[in-house]
Amino acid sequence: MISNRDNLTLSSVVNGLIFALYVILHAAAFAEQTVYFYAWGGSPQVNQYLQWAKQELATEKGIHLQHVKLADTSDAVSRILAEKAAGNLQSGSVDLLWVNGENFASMLKHNLLAEPWVDQLKNFSLTRPEKNPAVLKDFGIATEKREAPWGKAALVFYYHSGRVNQPPKQLSQLIPWLKKYPARFTYPRPPDFYATSFLKYAISVLNEHQADSIKQQLYQPVTEKSFNILAAPLWHFLDELHPLLWRQGRYFPSSGAQMQRLVDDQAIYLSYTFTAAEVPAAVSQYNLPPQIRTYAMQDGSLSNIHFVAIPFNAKHKTAAKQVADFLLSPKAQAKKQQIEVWGDQTVLDMSALNNSQRAMFNTLQRHPSALPANTEFKLLSELHPSWVDKLNSAWLQRYGVF
Amino acid sequence: MGRQAQFSLVTTLRGVLVSFLYYLLSALSRPVLFGIILVPVVAGLLGVLLPAFNYFPALGSSQFSGAAFTQLLATPGLLKMLCLSLFCGFLATWIAFKLNIMILASFYHTPWLNRIEQGLSPVLAVPHAAAAIAIAFILTPSGWLSRLLSPWLTGSNMVGDSWLPNDPWGISIIIGLVFKELPFLLLMSLSVLKQANLRVRLLQEYKVAISLGYQAEAAFIKVIFPQLYPLIRLPVLAVLAYATASVEIPYILGPNNPATLAVTILNWFNHSDLELRFVASAAAVLQIVLSLTVILIWLGGEYLWRRARSLFMAINLNPWAPFYRFCTGVTLILFAVILIVSLGGLVVWSFAGYWPYPAALPNSITGLHWQNAFTQLAEPISNSLLMAVSSSLLALLISLFALEAASYRTATKSWLEYLIYLPLLVPGVAFLFGLLWLQQALFSDAVFLPVLISHLVYVIPYVYLSLAVSYHNFNPALIRVAASLGAKPCKVFWRVKIPQLFAAIMVAFALGLAISLSQYLPTLLAGGGRYPTLTTEAVALANGASRRTSAVYAIMQMVLPLLGFMLAAWLPKWVYRKAQA
Repeated sequence: MISNRDNLTLSSVVNGLIFALYVILHAAAFAEQTVYFYAWGGSPQVNQYLQWAKQELATEKGIHLQHVKLADTSDAVSRILAEKAAGNLQSGSVDLLWVNGENFASMLKHNLLAEPWVDQLKNFSLTRPEKNPAVLKDFGIATEKREAPWGKAALVFYYHSGRVNQPPKQLSQLIPWLKKYPARFTYPRPPDFYATSFLKYAISVLNEHQADSIKQQLYQPVTEKSFNILAAPLWHFLDELHPLLWRQGRYFPSSGAQMQRLVDDQAIYLSYTFTAAEVPAAVSQYNLPPQIRTYAMQDGSLSNIHFVAIPFNAKHKTAAKQVADFLLSPKAQAKKQQIEVWGDQTVLDMSALNNSQRAMFNTLQRHPSALPANTEFKLLSELHPSWVDKLNSAWLQRYGVF
Repeated sequence: MGRQAQFSLVTTLRGVLVSFLYYLLSALSRPVLFGIILVPVVAGLLGVLLPAFNYFPALGSSQFSGAAFTQLLATPGLLKMLCLSLFCGFLATWIAFKLNIMILASFYHTPWLNRIEQGLSPVLAVPHAAAAIAIAFILTPSGWLSRLLSPWLTGSNMVGDSWLPNDPWGISIIIGLVFKELPFLLLMSLSVLKQANLRVRLLQEYKVAISLGYQAEAAFIKVIFPQLYPLIRLPVLAVLAYATASVEIPYILGPNNPATLAVTILNWFNHSDLELRFVASAAAVLQIVLSLTVILIWLGGEYLWRRARSLFMAINLNPWAPFYRFCTGVTLILFAVILIVSLGGLVVWSFAGYWPYPAALPNSITGLHWQNAFTQLAEPISNSLLMAVSSSLLALLISLFALEAASYRTATKSWLEYLIYLPLLVPGVAFLFGLLWLQQALFSDAVFLPVLISHLVYVIPYVYLSLAVSYHNFNPALIRVAASLGAKPCKVFWRVKIPQLFAAIMVAFALGLAISLSQYLPTLLAGGGRYPTLTTEAVALANGASRRTSAVYAIMQMVLPLLGFMLAAWLPKWVYRKAQA
């Protein structure tokens, strides 16, 4: 009786061992037709959209899309750099990367990108690059067709209309507004993308009155001289702004996502985003209160395009291109633009689409929290990427330690 | 006849296989254990030490120099970072240690001690990240606590501009660390007090002190504490080292202007500018020095305490006993309030629809967040479980046979007993980054294996220590009886020890699951972000856009290890009942 029981325990232990071994070997061998898509993972909308894309790709092309959620895109860039340094030139971990701005510039500089490939995509012609040269430029730098456009964004602001009558409509109104609503605005700590975006918006607007020859230097590689001239009004502005911010500017949120949560908490009443449609989407998911309203600043909105790139050492390049092509397809772009999904503006040119394709984009429903359809934009161009590091390190030097 | 012969052949074969397995595993387990613990830590330390002195040929630097340290020393706010890490780590450990002693002193030899143990042990299974998220929910000025107090007490309908969480002095970090480390210290102390060779003697001495007129608290502190402390010193030092170098709690609850040294190191290593790796490596070396310094300060304090012990012993503690009891009561009530409000807060947030401040409850309830999460949770959950089960099974196997092999050795206390603490004492931020280059060189393509190894580094010590207690307490008479009946060690192991230790083995297994499920840094670094688990996802979302999604992830993170412990409690009973029937 007893010995039976012991044999039972024993055989279950042995079985358990065999199972563990099997599981380990099985997991190690599992790596086929998988595209590792490294993309910022802080937004539920984006994550859900990629979940949808994963299912579509599995049924349409038999590709397993694996979304690797990044807290910061630079994590992936540093990984690719480390792989290059370690001599891993063929089987890198990143197949496809969501990227733009300084991360793209740094990849270009370190030769981390695959040979030009965008022309191979069937759907790329639908962006009409000859008519819209913007899809070939990333923050002022030529993409060399080493990254495919994915979406378009402009910096818009949103506020809690139940707590605030009148939001600031220009940068110059921000400080008077904060005096009326103390501590109800903040911006993230550099080097976060949303932090530098705010700094870029401010430095562009604050230098509006300068002579063209000086202003233009924002769009050229930064020099010590141009930085000193153009950043001076920014520091002056921030010195005055910071004591009025949330927590008196002694603690800054770590990301734009965290700011959205602060608005939901009603700790702050005003924030900003690059994806205007994220706001109504967040409202319908209860992640923002229904009284939120979105608007564009009168003195300008920073605007840019975001891309997907393939690293030089990607292991599954062909499959990654198929994924990029799918992401550019009218079906995927229309789905992405739907407010209840993600609401990211398409990079396709409507005139390049046929009627049934165009119809897919016409499902837009109006939402009280969404950006009004007739909003007029004064678009501000992105600064030359070399400005970003300089602005960040100068900011950290001045305000980084309290 | 034929069938019987066949049957006996199978039994014999099985017997041979079993004893072969037994002797093979007994012979191998100790070297394997030694290797798994020592190799990653030492290789990792080398991997940060060389770049710290600017030696990193892959980045084109093959000259030793002190440039990285010069650059590190020029970092704005370095002194503040160091002070913050030191202050938080030391104070949190000291408070947790003090509270632990107070609880033990007040409740030793009462039924309450068991109840408190049962109440606190689930907290041990809660991953640090989940605990930090839960505590952030209470401390945040729009959290449940302030909603319950507004507007009737705070007099305001507006969310205040409070310092908490993420306060510059690290108070939120200390709260989070104490909340997590107190249960650990308490359970470690209780396992010592329950040791077979100590329990009876301590209780007798305690009763003598009581009959001499000492209050219960005074008797505990004067008689039992001096004997208990040397036995829990290593766990205390492990807590100290962890508290000064942990990442999850300061990342979620700490300041960022500047952050603690460990969080800053993580940021530097992750930066796209590879040059920062030199500074980060130098900072990792500094982190080791910092953790060592804190340990030395602690040991220095201990030395002074021992020198002045006769002085302390002379103090009449009896008048203080009621005060002690009061403080203990307040602490426990506070702990329970934090536990209930934070758990309740998480649950309510995870179902909340629109919820304006200062309403105590949301305007509507929705399952949307759970629904959304579940479409995305399937993979992290299966990854987490796969890793937890594989690493815990392996750790169990290795630890069990290492202990079995040790039980037939003559040396009473081997070096292994100390070595096992190595991964708990060396800051993870230091050696895990150093491991990266080794991993790049050896298995640049693999994901599962490197993660498994780095999990084992942390799972094995806990499983081993948990099993070791039961192994040392195992009644030697049973083995003597079995041996005198002619049973070989192999048979004694399978037929006597395993059945007797089954419950303890299950607990060790559940502990292994909990430890593996809670690993953030090892998963993130070894897997290069390609092995998403519940914990890595929860930390990534902790400061994300949705408080509600974050709540769902934190709850899931708590549920999985608890299920493991429930299974561990239930399985032995089930097996036992089945055997009896």
